[in-house]
Amino acid sequence: MSNQARTVDPGLALQRLLAVAVLLAVWQVVVFSGVLPSMTPGVVEIAAAIGSTITSAVFWASLGKTMLAALSGWLIAVAAGTGLGLLVGSLPRLDRSSSILIDFGRSFPVLALMPVVIMMLGSNTRMEIVVVALSCLWPVLVQTIYGARRQEAAVVDTVRTFRIPKLLWFRRVLLPGAMPFIATGIRISASISILVAVGVEVLSQAPGIGRQITLAQQAQHWDKAFAYLFFAGLVGWGIALLLQTAEARLLKWNRQANG
Amino acid sequence: MSLQTAHSPARRATEQLMQVRGLTMSYGSGAAENKILQDLDLDVRAGEFVSIVGPSGVGKTTLLRCLSGLLAPKAGTISVGGQQITGPHPDLAVVFQDYSRSLLPWMSTRENVAFPLQGKGMGKAERNALADRNLAAVGLAGQGDKYPWEMSGGMQQRVAIARALAYNAKVLLMDEPFASVDAQTRFDLEDLVIDLHTNLGVTVILVTHDIDEALYLADKVVVIAEKPATVVDVIETNFGEVRDQVETKADPRFAEARARILHRLRDH
Repeated sequence: MSNQARTVDPGLALQRLLAVAVLLAVWQVVVFSGVLPSMTPGVVEIAAAIGSTITSAVFWASLGKTMLAALSGWLIAVAAGTGLGLLVGSLPRLDRSSSILIDFGRSFPVLALMPVVIMMLGSNTRMEIVVVALSCLWPVLVQTIYGARRQEAAVVDTVRTFRIPKLLWFRRVLLPGAMPFIATGIRISASISILVAVGVEVLSQAPGIGRQITLAQQAQHWDKAFAYLFFAGLVGWGIALLLQTAEARLLKWNRQANG
Repeated sequence: MSLQTAHSPARRATEQLMQVRGLTMSYGSGAAENKILQDLDLDVRAGEFVSIVGPSGVGKTTLLRCLSGLLAPKAGTISVGGQQITGPHPDLAVVFQDYSRSLLPWMSTRENVAFPLQGKGMGKAERNALADRNLAAVGLAGQGDKYPWEMSGGMQQRVAIARALAYNAKVLLMDEPFASVDAQTRFDLEDLVIDLHTNLGVTVILVTHDIDEALYLADKVVVIAEKPATVVDVIETNFGEVRDQVETKADPRFAEARARILHRLRDH
């Protein structure tokens, strides 16, 4: 199973390249057809803009700002979400009484909170981190609660008959048992962190890639805007890939034991 | 091999170890009360192998859960070594039917066996050594680094047995332990448990719906039936210490005992 994942099948690689080529061709055809506004850049212009962007200091500075805000917010959310989630999920009474709050919180459109947070903190990186953290908190929290709640009856009996002390139970049974769910929450929220960070920058003009996209748009530098978009996507994809690999390694037992 | 338990040779022991008096258990209350066990008595001598046999749904698992301290009975007393059981007890170790779920998939088999010892506060080197010894005792020498999901069902159940043995309890409680393995594996596991009982002198209480299994394994078969369930017969097997899947089951006394149990179960 893991071996298959590691060796890339040449046929599959070819198919994937083909899919990318088809997308680029469609894009070029649409641009030539004149359906889109005449300023829409073609594949070559975007590629050139990507090339010039990657060598510009402004790009790296804004990428750094975005990453810093996304990463900080995400880490805060992961720490708070797993801690709180394990507590809530392992204490049935707390779980029952807090479920209405958590259901409300997770359905709340966090981006709508942004104006309020701006009012309180101003249009800066600190505000951005807070909004990212608030957005990332819910997937981590909800997944962690699911994971901690879902304890096999047979495992519960085993732990009871062998009189495993509470702390040991938490560390070696509850936590690893909840880990696959926590990992999913962490992965989902990582993608969300980049998404929200860029979104906040677009809307609030806090420094970062999002702001550069807005600036490029306002200056009518469409090719540059697309180049930035491309990098925003690339970063999100890279992070997802990284976490997937880490998860497959660290939680090998889960894939093997549960298919 | 220096594996625990003081009593050996096992069979023909006389010292009273476990005593159940008037065990009554029900779920719900009032008009909705569902009585499962009624006034059940049971005596187990040290080193004895007792099978509890009864039809499916009679309340065998409920009985075993009461004996292991996982369920508090409505009435009656259970004691082991003169001590009243009010909850899970260090003298009792349980092997569950659902072995694949009772082993923790994120731990190696060694860690699974050593885990209850860690709970007792035993140091790492000592508990790992004890785990390896007990894995060897169930025929899994050198398999400590494997994970449960790398093993067959029969091997997983051996790990669960090793875990219970390593816990060094006086009584091993087994709930339909071989119900979900194939026939050949089942015979192998039955013979393993007989060997462990004979060599280590551990007291075993095994619950099963299989009359042949109950007779083949035990020194004493306790038949439970009726609703609510109670003891309807107790049979001392007297087939001797050495058992053989073919010869013991062909013994005329085996056939006689089986007929007697079948009659008892049919009458109720």
